[in-house]
Amino acid sequence: MKISETDVEYVAKLANLEVHESEKKELAQQLSRIVEHVEKLNTLDVAAVPPTYQVVSNTKLAIREDRVQPRTGSSEAGKTVKLFKVPKVITER
Amino acid sequence: MNLKNITADKLVSLYANRDLSVTEVINSVFDEIDRSDGNIHAFITLCRERALEEARRTDSRIAAEEPLSELTGVPVAIKDNMNLRDVPTTCGSKMLANYVPPYTATAVERLRSAGAIIIGKTNMDEFAMGSSTENSSFFATRNPHDLERVPGGSSGGSAASVAAGMSLIALGSDTGGSIRQPASFCGVVGMKPTYGRVSRYGLVAYASSLDQIGPFTKSVRECAQVLETMCGFDHYDSTSADTPVDSFVKVLDQPMKDVRIGIPREYFIAGMDPEVKANVENAIRRYETMGCRIEEIRLPHTEHAVATYYLIATAEASSNLARYDGVRYGLREGGTGGLGEMYRKTRMTGFGKEVKRRILLGTYALSAGYYDAYYLKAMKVRTLILQDFQKAFEKVNIILTPTTPTPAFRIGEKTADPLSMYLSDIFTITCNLSGLPGISVPCGKTSANLPVGLQLIANHFQESLLLQVAHNFEKAGGFGNVSS
Repeated sequence: MKISETDVEYVAKLANLEVHESEKKELAQQLSRIVEHVEKLNTLDVAAVPPTYQVVSNTKLAIREDRVQPRTGSSEAGKTVKLFKVPKVITER
Repeated sequence: MNLKNITADKLVSLYANRDLSVTEVINSVFDEIDRSDGNIHAFITLCRERALEEARRTDSRIAAEEPLSELTGVPVAIKDNMNLRDVPTTCGSKMLANYVPPYTATAVERLRSAGAIIIGKTNMDEFAMGSSTENSSFFATRNPHDLERVPGGSSGGSAASVAAGMSLIALGSDTGGSIRQPASFCGVVGMKPTYGRVSRYGLVAYASSLDQIGPFTKSVRECAQVLETMCGFDHYDSTSADTPVDSFVKVLDQPMKDVRIGIPREYFIAGMDPEVKANVENAIRRYETMGCRIEEIRLPHTEHAVATYYLIATAEASSNLARYDGVRYGLREGGTGGLGEMYRKTRMTGFGKEVKRRILLGTYALSAGYYDAYYLKAMKVRTLILQDFQKAFEKVNIILTPTTPTPAFRIGEKTADPLSMYLSDIFTITCNLSGLPGISVPCGKTSANLPVGLQLIANHFQESLLLQVAHNFEKAGGFGNVSS
């Protein structure tokens, strides 16, 4: 499928990215070429194939006890002053 | 002193015999960096003062006859996407140029506990997205074997630092080949362990279901040692494997028994460099004379690996990189027009071209109406690729391929065409999609004196066998870069 400049604008908005007017055409072309390549996957019949999200299953953290553990770093995180301070979110109409 | 010719195990024995001091070695590492890095550009940040201070402390411990650890006083460089407390982690990006982490990555901490001294942070493609280290926001790294060529990527700085003797060992991360491909281009050993073997805590995430940390070294023995030190369960990483870690070093010199090597027909493609092919075929013959059984195998879904990878990796990246919004990390731009404007301005200024391209592709693949057609389909093809390997491992226990279809390419050769850059990862990404351990070892050079890499792949958690088979190859012919 061809990616248009409008698609680029729409996806950029979803991703919170600003794309320069001058970049749009090139990006649309490059992404079209990549999408064309990945569409080769359509030649495969995968209707009955389950998806693989993770390859290694012998992890044990999903069932660990939910207890507070001491951890390095968390008390240090506030050192940089501007950290976590954001512009006003709610503005007057 | 030339560190190009010395391995970590040899260095530690020289310390033990008091033939060398750690301070001397660390000083000579920085001398070498001062001499060579102006041409190669492997390092983003150097930890000179800190490393020399650690060297002096290590020397006094050696003088007090404290026992040496396996990596005592060994100079190690780490890719700049791994945290070392109080030293910037830039990820090769303007976005994190001033980010200083308050903690150290588990893998790095384990090496430090074994005595290693971190000398600096190495250059990389921005957020590990690239195959040439040309996508760094700061500068491109050059291949020590030919300064007009790329060192590979995304861990190009780490590979180049070991190849040039500016570090003894380096750490990289491998999401689609980012350790093995630069190892191949720079003529060193590089390994990606089984997914879950090495903790990802403190590694900046690119594609979480594919990322693994691994070493660059000059010999397989050092690679085994570094892995043995880093591997093992970590409760800070929810995907950390709870699997016992054998002594990888101990089994290296045991005789190879019942090694059946599979050669996948799909990895010897048209368009492959003939000299790469010839060197890899020589390697196959070398294994044959060592008594290994060679069998042709099929991995029929290989041709779909690049497409599958670029959907999964970019989808995961678009989600992982959403956190760089000007609030919590590094750069902040445009704070006056409200929160939304700050997000967009920060991300527009902070991210480079390739990162934006991949975020857009990943967002597209995950967006409403396209999820099933792209992302879910890729996850299903991932199953087929994994099943190919499972079938192959019923017949053989090692798979042998070239690491890359060509030797190191020229700087600028592939930057205009992202797809051609993506296709240079064609032989390495299947390991990431299927979580398998893979190692690249040098197997010769082209007539232009460029290194060629041989990739060996084993089943999940079979690192011992993989390292043993790689070590036997080195013993039978040498890599030509270590005088042992």
